[in-house]
Amino acid sequence: MSSDVLVSVRGLEVHFPVRGEGIRKKGAGVLRAVDGVDLDILRGETLGLVGESGCGKSTLGNAVLRLIPSTGGSVHFAGTDVTSVGGKGLRELRRRAGMVFQDPFASLDPRRTVAQTVSEPLEVHGLRSGRRERAARVGELLELVGLDPAVAGRYPHEFSGGQRQRVGIARALAGEPDFLVCDEAIASLDVSVQAQVLNLLRRLQKQLGLTLLFISHDLSAVRHISDRIAVMYLGRIVEIGPASAVGSDPQMPYTQALLSAVPLPHPALERERKRIVLRGDVPSPSAVPSGCRFRTRCPYVFEPCDDVDPALQPAGAAGQQAACHLHGVVGTPVERTPEGVTAEP
Amino acid sequence: MGARSGAPRGSEPASAVTAGTAPVLEVEDLRVRLRTPRGPADVVNGLSYTVGPGETVAVVGESGSGKSVSVLALLGLLPARVATVTGRAVLQGEDLLTMKPERLRQVRGPGAGMVFQDPMTSLNPVLTVGRQLVEGIRAHGDVSKEAARSRAADLLGEVGLPDPKGALDRYPHELSGGMRQRVVIAIALSNSPALLIADEATTALDVTVQAQIIDLIENLQADRGTGVIWITHDLGVVAGIADRVLVMYGGRCVEDGTVDDVLERPAHPYTRGLLGALPDLARPAVDGVVPDLATVPGTPPAPTDLPEGCVFWPRCPVRGDARCEHEQPPLVQIQGLDRHFGPSGLPHRAATWCTEPTSDTGLPASGTGSTALGGDR
Amino acid sequence: MTGAPVPEPGGSPDTPAGAPGTSPVASLKPARPRWRETLGLLARNPTAAVASVVLLLIVVVAVFDDTFAPEGANEISVTDRLQSPSWAHPFGTDDLGRDILSRVILGASVSLKVGFLAVGFALVAGTMIGLLAGYYGKWVDDVLMRFMDMLFAFPAVLLAIAVLAVRGPGSGNTALAIGIVYTPIFARVTRASVLGVREEVYVRASRSVGASDWRILTRHILPNAAPPIIVQTSISLAFAVLAEAALSFLGLGTQPPNPSWGLMLAEGRGYIELAWWLAFFPGMAIFLTVLCFNLLGDGLRDALDPRQRTLMAGGGK
Repeated sequence: MSSDVLVSVRGLEVHFPVRGEGIRKKGAGVLRAVDGVDLDILRGETLGLVGESGCGKSTLGNAVLRLIPSTGGSVHFAGTDVTSVGGKGLRELRRRAGMVFQDPFASLDPRRTVAQTVSEPLEVHGLRSGRRERAARVGELLELVGLDPAVAGRYPHEFSGGQRQRVGIARALAGEPDFLVCDEAIASLDVSVQAQVLNLLRRLQKQLGLTLLFISHDLSAVRHISDRIAVMYLGRIVEIGPASAVGSDPQMPYTQALLSAVPLPHPALERERKRIVLRGDVPSPSAVPSGCRFRTRCPYVFEPCDDVDPALQPAGAAGQQAACHLHGVVGTPVERTPEGVTAEP
Repeated sequence: MGARSGAPRGSEPASAVTAGTAPVLEVEDLRVRLRTPRGPADVVNGLSYTVGPGETVAVVGESGSGKSVSVLALLGLLPARVATVTGRAVLQGEDLLTMKPERLRQVRGPGAGMVFQDPMTSLNPVLTVGRQLVEGIRAHGDVSKEAARSRAADLLGEVGLPDPKGALDRYPHELSGGMRQRVVIAIALSNSPALLIADEATTALDVTVQAQIIDLIENLQADRGTGVIWITHDLGVVAGIADRVLVMYGGRCVEDGTVDDVLERPAHPYTRGLLGALPDLARPAVDGVVPDLATVPGTPPAPTDLPEGCVFWPRCPVRGDARCEHEQPPLVQIQGLDRHFGPSGLPHRAATWCTEPTSDTGLPASGTGSTALGGDR
Repeated sequence: MTGAPVPEPGGSPDTPAGAPGTSPVASLKPARPRWRETLGLLARNPTAAVASVVLLLIVVVAVFDDTFAPEGANEISVTDRLQSPSWAHPFGTDDLGRDILSRVILGASVSLKVGFLAVGFALVAGTMIGLLAGYYGKWVDDVLMRFMDMLFAFPAVLLAIAVLAVRGPGSGNTALAIGIVYTPIFARVTRASVLGVREEVYVRASRSVGASDWRILTRHILPNAAPPIIVQTSISLAFAVLAEAALSFLGLGTQPPNPSWGLMLAEGRGYIELAWWLAFFPGMAIFLTVLCFNLLGDGLRDALDPRQRTLMAGGGK
């Protein structure tokens, strides 16, 4: 098992200091964007990371690639600790792990041609010597993502959103990476274009044997592209398992609510569907509830939820894990200090 | 999975669209032309539809399809300097397009309320929520400040804001995105409009919050008989909320009909493509393999440069008729499909030269998905 | 439709695929149609276009001043003193009988040279400081910008006078003085612009593929932060010409008998009631140059505005 793990995340924390607002400066608080994540990404798989806005999924993706510094825990990429590597090792990480960003209009430098953008990793890592070789490689990469190599000399503003996203993917692939993080890579695209990019990513994943971390708020898309799905809530992974299991028979109440809220394009089905409507809003990541962080909205909340921070435990299908006391009370008891551990929302 | 405490979906919107009821809104041959640096852009080209009381009409399309512009035009919210609007849009007996600006301003509150995608743009950041609601209420009726304030609190309670009285003194930035959108809805509803226009109102929200907002609007609609125009790109939302669907592409309506007809028996190649492009949770994997999505190649046309003939032909996988490239297909009732009229007796129309049956397009055969997911539950 | 790479059909207007004129193999030569685009936008703005043409003429005259000037700068002719404008002396003559047209033309090179040198100095120094402060932030930003604030807080003329007092008058030192005075302006403009660009996703994207700070600064941040700096350059040139005139007027800049517009203005002041042309023509030269630089700056501001570009490029709603 462990030999198949490409990326291993252990107890990862990304905390940001928060300054109080205006006059009511209450002193420094902490925003727990990522708050103790354990996660293994297997070589050659597509892991979907799904969650709602503010759950920390994007921060996690960035921290895994050390584009955002982490404040605790470790990330091992192919054996090297990403959080402490420097110099040559960091450059090698940058070559072997790429990122596809959300907004294809913002992620390409408007003043650089497609060729310049795509060849940047080649130049940085000295992968092709000489202009001619680089140009040829850029042509190959563009073809790989379904663009005409003749467009290499053009500027981003001459392209549509979907085409720009293809350029972004070509750039991420230029260093021949093993691992690609797609951070909401289809969120800004039109539906018909989303499908094109999803198909492209699936094809590339198979063709190049890539390992993908596909981050999205769109459960349908995640279910479509992923082998496994991890569900994130308030900085923690609350459920993980095979896509078929998490996508159809979730074991954690939050995932159940999330799944039931995804609108389906079938009118008859929508009419008879039972929807779990959650109470209230997601608590702020700077005031995470004690115990189970979902307890403030959970329809099944019961005694241990207040006192024990649930750990992931096997539940449902093979390989499926959920952080929920409904499957047995497992986790870390909450330490109570006089001031209280965390603020009640 | 056992006991699942599921609240039932909001009661079905009354299908009060029988022939006898007078429609709330009647749009006829709406056209919008914008002046752009690249020349004139025909953003909306001859749109006609009606919205009955208690009815929800979904206008679906991708970016640039003209769906948002078409409703902004209705309410006179496009800058007159660049936009030419023609046609007729009769709201409760008055034509919005020929109305004097002052009258239009009066109509906007009690006649038609509007909810936009980004609640922050429709709320004034420096005024409290209560102040903005009270202003709206008093602008359209002779109400005392105290009465308006208590009505404002009632409204906030109705849209599901916890502690509505306290919320009156909050500023928009102190509320979460979902709560802000509720406030915008409360403002839109404050004058009991006959028509509510929601322009991508839930697009920026998380799905769980979106579910809350949709439930809210459906319930309010059932209580008040408000007609709703729901503009969105999300066919999933459409399936849940709409009675009728209007699919827009390149500024034209390419297909309309009941939600069941359009989503389960799509006739236009574009509608089919759009549905096929959706990753669908209800579509099961075949032998553990999730099939690739059917895609529509290319990108939507720019309104400055619409193709001749059928607007969709440059991207159309069918192109089954000699007229596709030259002659614009009219929006007509579909011949040859299962029936001329859907179960509700409403027409199902499409603007295409290619109306062969759905089954051989390789798209999700309608119905199968439902049974598959139904089995799960 | 799935599987194989599908170049999107060239039917839609946004699709550059299949457009003629591009070589089939990717050319890595940094083409610069953006400059041409900027020039095109500038040409559409008649005021800025006229200003550019006038400026070009002024610069050409200043460069080839010896060719254009009918007489030398200091050809004294006692018999031709204080003559009003005529065919022989279109701008008249001064109290020493020197041809004013010739002196205005020869003064142009002095005034512009000081202007360009001063702004060049401020541009290089200020941009570098602003770039470092904006990109690295934290203590680098604090140290550099507080120093700039101190320079900025000094009255400009006082600072220039101080520099000239230490180094002595002369056009080179005038340029240096003005350049130092303008450095904080460029530092601030650059820093503000860099702060915006630094947060762009494409900068993060570049870092994600392993680009070094130096590469990010020179290839991504500086080019994208440049527009406001270019505008500032044009406007500062106007102010620099004025400043040179002011310092020369005060006797701290160019020293007689060398011609400079400011100096000529100062010398003509005594004869304003007797012979208005002494001050008028150099004054007009200053006015015209400053006006044109300002108009060009405004035009550039519009032409480099990204909103202008998107309006031109993306049809949309």
